[in-house]
Amino acid sequence: MDTLEARLCDYIAGKLRHGSGVRVENLDRIFGGASRETYRFVLHWKEDEADHSRRLILRRDPPSSLIETERAIEFAAYRAFHGSAVPVPEALWLEEDPQYLEHPFFVMEELSGFEASPQAITQPPYSDHAAKLAQQKWRILGEIAKADPSKLGLEGIMKSVAPGECWQRELARWEGVLDEDELCPQPVIRAAIRWLRRNPPPPAQKISVVHADYRTGNFLYDAEGTIHGILDWEMAHLGDPLEDLAWSINPVWRWARDERCGGLAPREDAIRIWEQSCGLRADPDALRWWEVFSSVKGQGIWVSGAQEFSEGTNQDVILGLSSWIMGNAQDRAALLALGRLPS
Amino acid sequence: MKPDSARLLDVFAVHLMTKVAPALPQAYQQGDVSVLGIMLLAVKEETERAASRRIEENAALRRLFETATPRVQDARLRERLAEAASSADPGLTISELECANIALRDLLIDLHAHVEELDSPEARRLDQDIWHELAQSTERRRLSMGAF
Repeated sequence: MDTLEARLCDYIAGKLRHGSGVRVENLDRIFGGASRETYRFVLHWKEDEADHSRRLILRRDPPSSLIETERAIEFAAYRAFHGSAVPVPEALWLEEDPQYLEHPFFVMEELSGFEASPQAITQPPYSDHAAKLAQQKWRILGEIAKADPSKLGLEGIMKSVAPGECWQRELARWEGVLDEDELCPQPVIRAAIRWLRRNPPPPAQKISVVHADYRTGNFLYDAEGTIHGILDWEMAHLGDPLEDLAWSINPVWRWARDERCGGLAPREDAIRIWEQSCGLRADPDALRWWEVFSSVKGQGIWVSGAQEFSEGTNQDVILGLSSWIMGNAQDRAALLALGRLPS
Repeated sequence: MKPDSARLLDVFAVHLMTKVAPALPQAYQQGDVSVLGIMLLAVKEETERAASRRIEENAALRRLFETATPRVQDARLRERLAEAASSADPGLTISELECANIALRDLLIDLHAHVEELDSPEARRLDQDIWHELAQSTERRRLSMGAF
């Protein structure tokens, strides 16, 4: 049978040199995330005359995605942080040749039994541990900021950038996405882009690994308030660590519908935890620049999804919803960061 | 036609979320259908105001352009503003209103960029008016289910 399960089984059998009797069972697609197709499955094999099994995740490129991302970089980021103070699943195999599963993919460990939903975190029992989750969320982000990209072996994989050029590179990238993909005028975001160019930030204090989608919804947590894994490194790059901090506190992730960032903690608490963790300072003017930028980037993502949906290259229903709801919220967030949202 | 489209969308959304989704065998399918239900609720909210928000916004933009025209120094932009200020919506279908709205909002971007380069109290007032309209336009598109 030429099912995805069978093809995945053949691929892994070729990778397990000392294993035999390889079986892939319970392959089940996980909902959400439009930039990769994500499946969980259980791998069974025999080795040294013993039966083994392991829960794994398949991340496969879709025909088209919300954002065009580099799977090799995502895979490298998982490998680099595995076993560090930044909890991530173990990445096992990267395959860029589409002959095996039609599209490039990678396989990694499943951290099972945990929650990822940004809505669930605002409800009991998880909401009882909001302060503890916030402490870990921004402490781990501080660990990412603090890490040395060269010691992680990521300097040759992620494009290098000078401290004074981080903002220009990121702004040019996301302005380019908007130029290419927008289906209707974006007067709020275009005004934000002009403001960003008129008010450049100071050079980055250091060049860090930027996760680039660090938010509630992209980490695994449990009912005791412990974070077990940071996921979705598909946009990771080298840059200014304030980019991640600003993204993490963007108002569009206020899942509890109150002032708390990511449904967890007030803005000032998040910043303080991050500063204490990484030893860097979140200069208010520089952080404001990155907050305005994060809404330009966010709108780039939503506009890109709307374009994919409209063109028919990716009609995942989540794209329709995010284009409408997140697109509008992102304009409001931009207005707020620019001091233009009426109270 | 009865039932109203709003009522139909409401019932269909609830049906998808409470009857169809839970009966599906896989979590991915359940999530997919639940989001379809949520999307129908968003479509219901947008459908109700689709014409009125565009008519209101197109009129607001034309008034803004009328005010701006004598203050703009660039001759070509002044001409475009005057033309847009005296224009009318070509019809009342959503696609006709949207087409006019896109043209007006494109012009708003050009006007805003131009005004930012001017240094006069009049230009600052116009800049404030434009920001006010941008905030209003964002409110007109707001959906009640958004987290922010």
